[in-house]
Amino acid sequence: MYVKVRVDEKKCVGCKLCIFACPDPNVLTYTENKKVSADENRCKGCGLCVSSCPKGALIIS
Amino acid sequence: MIKSMFQISPGFEDIMPAEYLELIENGPFEKRVGVSDLGAFKELLEEHPLCAGCGLALSLRLILASLPNPEDTIIIGSTGCSALAFPQVALHNIHSLFGNQNAVASGVKRALNLRFPDKIKDVVVIAGDGATADIGLDMVLHSWFRQEKITTIMLDNEAYANTGGQESGMSPKGTVLNMAPKGKTFSKVSIPELAREAGCAYVASVNPAQPKKLEKAIVRGILAARELGPTYIQVFSPCPTNYKFKPNETISKVRLREKEGTYETKEFLSTEARELFARLEEEKK
Repeated sequence: MYVKVRVDEKKCVGCKLCIFACPDPNVLTYTENKKVSADENRCKGCGLCVSSCPKGALIIS
Repeated sequence: MIKSMFQISPGFEDIMPAEYLELIENGPFEKRVGVSDLGAFKELLEEHPLCAGCGLALSLRLILASLPNPEDTIIIGSTGCSALAFPQVALHNIHSLFGNQNAVASGVKRALNLRFPDKIKDVVVIAGDGATADIGLDMVLHSWFRQEKITTIMLDNEAYANTGGQESGMSPKGTVLNMAPKGKTFSKVSIPELAREAGCAYVASVNPAQPKKLEKAIVRGILAARELGPTYIQVFSPCPTNYKFKPNETISKVRLREKEGTYETKEFLSTEARELFARLEEEKK
């Protein structure tokens, strides 16, 4: 099964808590419009970012 | 090391890997970046082979982001899960024999002092709990007794994780693992107290659920090691593969253990270290 993270840009507030929770480097990056964007190719799908997000803006699918 | 040393020679830009180009353009070298800037710069760690949800990988990532002087830092690693990630780290690093990391670091530090007497060179040992508390305890303790100016960081995942799950000295009492079916018979070895008694200037026990606290401990540990003597930092990094919990529960496990009081964050400063940090704070102002 291949899983990866997706960011809902409407819900993201740019608190960066997911960036501090991700064990893999350079997956989640902070963009210029103060949101988080995900590099899906690097993601291992552990779900730590999903459980750390207070706004429910991340999904693993 | 200065940035011009790893600049690509003209004409070779198109054959170098994309990650290397990113590191030159947007890396943390010669910039003052910390944990709070994560996500805005290219990290020193690349895609590593550690498991999904690995607490050790998260700790390593935060440690590498909080190094105060990455261009002049040499990392000494040892056998274990962390050794699998070191080939992907964009810093000078040495892989030593299992347990020998502090002996190798002592030699490296002395040699660097002779070769570059007027430069700051940080020697940082990053090893697992097996290398620090079991197999290499002899070398670790004696480097502290000799007052070598190195920072020892232990990534404590409470097991020998990449050999199938044997109990280590750092596993809690009663732990049942794949290759420890009867349960561990003695309690967790208390290395922070041991370090304090052995003469470390700064001792801390932190976890990746509190990244700011972790950064502060790493920076303090390295600054104290430059001037005073050995320092020790223990980072709790739970292993979802061997402790059989879901990979998305790593951080909640850390919080739970801290709430239960079985793995507390603590900090110990010697009087010299307290004075040093007070002085540095004043200089900053």
